[in-house]
Amino acid sequence: MTIKLKGRCISKGYAEGEALVCRQPIGLNFGVDFETGVITEYNHELCGKSIKDKVLIFPHGKGSTGGSYVVYQLAKNKTGPKAMINLSTETIIAVGAIMAGVPVMDHLEKDPFDVISDGDHVIVDAVQGIVTIDK
Amino acid sequence: MQLTDVEKRMRDGEQGEPVRMAMEILIALGEIYEAERLVPVRSAHIAGLSLKSHGIAGTEWAEDLAKQGAKVCIPTTMNVVGVDRSRDLNLPREWEKNQLRIETAYECMGCYGTSTCVPYYCGFVPRFREHIAWAESSAVIFSNSVLGARDNREGGPSALAAGLTGRTPLHGLHLDENRRGDVLFRVTAHLSGIADYGALGSYVGRMIGTRVPVFEGIKGPSIEELVYLGSALASSGGVALFHAAGVTPEAPTIGSAFGGKRYDTVEVTVREIEEGRQKLTSGKERKVDYVAIGCPHCSLNQIKEISILLGGRKVKEETALWIHTNVAIKHLAKQLGYVKVIEDAGGIVTQDFCTILGNPEALGFKTLATNSPKMAFYAPGSNGLDVWYGSVEQCIDSAVSGYWKS
Repeated sequence: MTIKLKGRCISKGYAEGEALVCRQPIGLNFGVDFETGVITEYNHELCGKSIKDKVLIFPHGKGSTGGSYVVYQLAKNKTGPKAMINLSTETIIAVGAIMAGVPVMDHLEKDPFDVISDGDHVIVDAVQGIVTIDK
Repeated sequence: MQLTDVEKRMRDGEQGEPVRMAMEILIALGEIYEAERLVPVRSAHIAGLSLKSHGIAGTEWAEDLAKQGAKVCIPTTMNVVGVDRSRDLNLPREWEKNQLRIETAYECMGCYGTSTCVPYYCGFVPRFREHIAWAESSAVIFSNSVLGARDNREGGPSALAAGLTGRTPLHGLHLDENRRGDVLFRVTAHLSGIADYGALGSYVGRMIGTRVPVFEGIKGPSIEELVYLGSALASSGGVALFHAAGVTPEAPTIGSAFGGKRYDTVEVTVREIEEGRQKLTSGKERKVDYVAIGCPHCSLNQIKEISILLGGRKVKEETALWIHTNVAIKHLAKQLGYVKVIEDAGGIVTQDFCTILGNPEALGFKTLATNSPKMAFYAPGSNGLDVWYGSVEQCIDSAVSGYWKS
């Protein structure tokens, strides 16, 4: 089954990959090992899981404002997500993604948590503003 | 977004590549957040300057900008970093070398090497309703809430972009309508000391995410207690603004804090404070080998209090006691003799540096005791340390005995 959803482009670009869905906000500064892309935040839903090469779906960023550089560093190390989808992107994630050229979209026409599951193949076209989900 | 003629020329590269790049970031953010225009800002504060955030890629990005002649055009302060320029902490040499590269690059761009998360403790105090572009989540929430300045949660690069252009997009907390409260927290628990305020922030931050909490029942807090409440709200959640009725400038009353909006009410009793405290505690072994205080950086009052609490006792040989502050406060504390008292007892007072941005774990520490909610929140992920969280008295006692007592 293929689903197409329109949304808002935060950081322009095109990428596709396997979905990793996280219902908790993510703080990347001090919360991820940028050599491996594994989340290290204590008690976090994704703790111990890798975000490398995923299309990462989460509500919004949180925590320390140094996170923009972390998004950039993850992209340079090729240990970061291929693309990100938020309910509503905040500044920290937005700026890091723009610096690094990582596609980011938010405000999809349907709640991504209702539509996207772990392992779905997701195409993020953050030029046209369309997310395509293959389930 | 509307740009002035000058801003259009900045965007088109008339003032060089760094200003062009800065405008690209600001315009992109402005479009995302549907800002009508850019607004002039009086000051900027850049965070994420630790090697842990910049990495080598970010370091090279900053060095390239400096080489291209980037210069800030408004007072721009620098956040705490991972090295103490006044002493040798025996951290790995490669770490220190790369950390100093970052500081040098930003100083070349004209930033002030304050190296602190509390620029308001060394003379950089935005006035009520002044637009600023500060990063450092604890400084953002403090300047918005306690000083009544207008600031969004800037990232390091967007704060630098504001420093290079003197502007930021007019959206979010720069606008009156976004500064009203969302949820009322009626605090009936008695709060005493920064660890209690930190526990409150830890509980509320987890619940409220990025919305605006309003507190009722907070009575006569010190500036330090408000700093630590804010730092906990901003790290456990993504809070950038809180109001406290009768305490902060935009909340003379509960009604004015909400500005006519409907709101839910949450009761905060001793139980909720205890829950906030538990969330910050990950300690397993009661043996403590590292006690660190000052995240955000200590005020002079906090350092004086620590020197009095030590009361002539010695820090246990296998335990380290590190107090974090900035160069300005350190200088004063030294002149007044507090640093000598702490160092004679076997502790140290660091400047520029802090636990989560530095890597004291390289010295083999395993279990941290602290009264700082932000440090307690980040240390397990950033430093791999187990954490005991409690009052400053408990922390100093554990430095002396080497054990944590609940």
